[in-house]
Amino acid sequence: MKAALTIDALEVNFGGFKAVDGMTSVIDDGELRVILGPNGAGKTTLMDLVSGKTASTGGKVHLFGRDITNWPEHEIARAGIGRKFQIPSIFRELSVLQNLEVAVSQEPRVFRNLRLGIPTADRKRIDEVIDLTGLEPVLETVAGDLSHGQMQWLELGMLITQQSRVILLDEPTAGMTQGETSKTADIIMRLKGSHTIIVVEHDMAFVRKIAEKVTVMHMGKLLAEGPIKSIEADPAVREAYLGTGGLH
Amino acid sequence: MSNKAFLLGDRAVYIAFIVIVLGLPLLVDDVFWLNRVARYLVFGMLGIAMALSWGYAGILNLGQGLFFGVGAYMVAMSLKLQSWTSMQQGSDTPVPDFMLWNAQPGAPTDLCCIVPGSWLWIPFQAQWFGIFMAIALPVVLALIIGATIFRLRVSGVYVAIITLALVLLTRLIFIDAQPITNGFNGLTDLGWLTVGGIEFDPLMVGTYYIVAVSVCIVLLLTRWLVSTRAGLILQSTRDDANRARYLGYDVASYQIFFFTVSAAIAGFAGLLFVIVSEFATPTYFDIAFSISMVVWAAVGGRSSLIGAAIGAILINTIEATVSESEMFQQAWRLIIGVLFVLIVLYMPRGLAGLARDLLARLVALGRGKQADSAKASRNPAE
Ligand SMILES: Nc1ncnc2c1ncn2[C@@H]1O[C@H](COP(=O)(O)OP(=O)(O)O)[C@@H](O)[C@H]1O
Ligand SMILES: [Mg+2]
Repeated sequence: MKAALTIDALEVNFGGFKAVDGMTSVIDDGELRVILGPNGAGKTTLMDLVSGKTASTGGKVHLFGRDITNWPEHEIARAGIGRKFQIPSIFRELSVLQNLEVAVSQEPRVFRNLRLGIPTADRKRIDEVIDLTGLEPVLETVAGDLSHGQMQWLELGMLITQQSRVILLDEPTAGMTQGETSKTADIIMRLKGSHTIIVVEHDMAFVRKIAEKVTVMHMGKLLAEGPIKSIEADPAVREAYLGTGGLH
Repeated sequence: MSNKAFLLGDRAVYIAFIVIVLGLPLLVDDVFWLNRVARYLVFGMLGIAMALSWGYAGILNLGQGLFFGVGAYMVAMSLKLQSWTSMQQGSDTPVPDFMLWNAQPGAPTDLCCIVPGSWLWIPFQAQWFGIFMAIALPVVLALIIGATIFRLRVSGVYVAIITLALVLLTRLIFIDAQPITNGFNGLTDLGWLTVGGIEFDPLMVGTYYIVAVSVCIVLLLTRWLVSTRAGLILQSTRDDANRARYLGYDVASYQIFFFTVSAAIAGFAGLLFVIVSEFATPTYFDIAFSISMVVWAAVGGRSSLIGAAIGAILINTIEATVSESEMFQQAWRLIIGVLFVLIVLYMPRGLAGLARDLLARLVALGRGKQADSAKASRNPAE
């Protein structure tokens, strides 16, 4: 199978402390990968390195064979990586529809965007995403007034309208009610296949529901990788989670 | 939603504004009064430029006077050379009077070398060069300043501090270059703008129309600009620059573009102001003037282009009325200062926001009545 994202011996050194330390993993095209690890394992930092928020100090990131290591954020985004943050990051003073309209444009340049209206193809994609996320009733609402769950779905929806081939989700269900979590799982399941998705998640019920292959990080390194069943039985994983409450 | 009502209300305000501005000379034939209105319209244009950068881009430019002043000086240099006194210095080509006062004994009466640096004035003998530079120089300066600060991802209050420092620096430069700028006194005793043989006396109705039409065009153009996709993306960078980056936009290029457009409008305003007021002085680079622009936009509503324009016109009208009384003149600054603080704290959308809230209430009221009458007409049938 074709590799979507190749993380190769990636490393970042924060003044002597390596938050990510020689991490290696290959994520296949269309795969849904869950990343687990105790607090401080370096999961968020790994996403920062892949998406360009933090510059790595060693190793490589390849996207569909293209070396995107340490590119500027907007170029990595244009290359096909979409990122959802732990704290919802949306345009709070714009309406929900406007948020999606910003996300949908495939034209990054200022002068090319000096035009009114949205092309039909883009409009269609926005409609599809509205369907998928169920944001129809709040389209005209200012995004800052949405509920926490709706904000998370809007941000997720923006990544889909953006047509990111690889989507990074950092704890997408954090702070959600059970109902909201289950709806989020549904959305993610529907994206499976058409997008490559990498999810960092703590909620094991949620993980068991969506996961195929799981990667466990510990102290910035790869600890274990494989199907969820074998991971849960892995003694090294149990060891890493000792004292942190373990996998549950 | 009541979006339609807002759109209609918005359109009505634009149309009313344009009709009033263009129709005013038909109602008033006091040329002095019209000239005064023309100046306020220029300030209205500055309000638009401020709303564009502060309201839409989230860039609080506390040095907008830099671009206004540079625009003003550029065209004033050309008009100075067209003045009667400049023609009367006993040379073949015009030379500004103040250069003679500063010249070393024996220096030739010619722009080439009457005082050090006077050669910079040579191309300004062509009026069109001054007009061109009044917009081109602010644009170039804004590109350089914008590219530097936005590529370095400077934001928020730091942008305000840097722009403030730059306008002060410019003020120093213009005062310091006294032999070629006439220092504190600035450029006065200017000639009139001449287009196609017509001299535009500041007290002519035609001159009023140059300003009025310019303001309307700038208003509609910026309105179009913020409605484009680029305008929407700009607003998204204001809300969350990082999110915009992770959607694939080079945030700095949007900031630089709109910062520069705002500067071009300010330069254009400077040009127009010189045409109606016949002088250019370093007071344009005073901090107080740049901060006034922020106050106008805040009062009118920084996220509304026309709101900011109306805010500027309104405040200047009140100020002019009030300053006729000695006592109020003193109190005015205090009043404006307090007003500014109150508006920023309690009415961040200014007068435009107030108007929208009123409209929303009216719509709701109308809906209520409709619902009531619908109920009333249904009830008997039941
Ligand atoms: N910019 C930074 N400078 C220094 N240390 C950092 C920085 N960012 C993250 N860290 C540290 O790196 C470690 C991993 O953090 P993080 O990636 O957020 O963990 P996780 O998301 O797995 O909980 C933590 O100990 C954190 O304090
Ligand atoms: Mg984290």
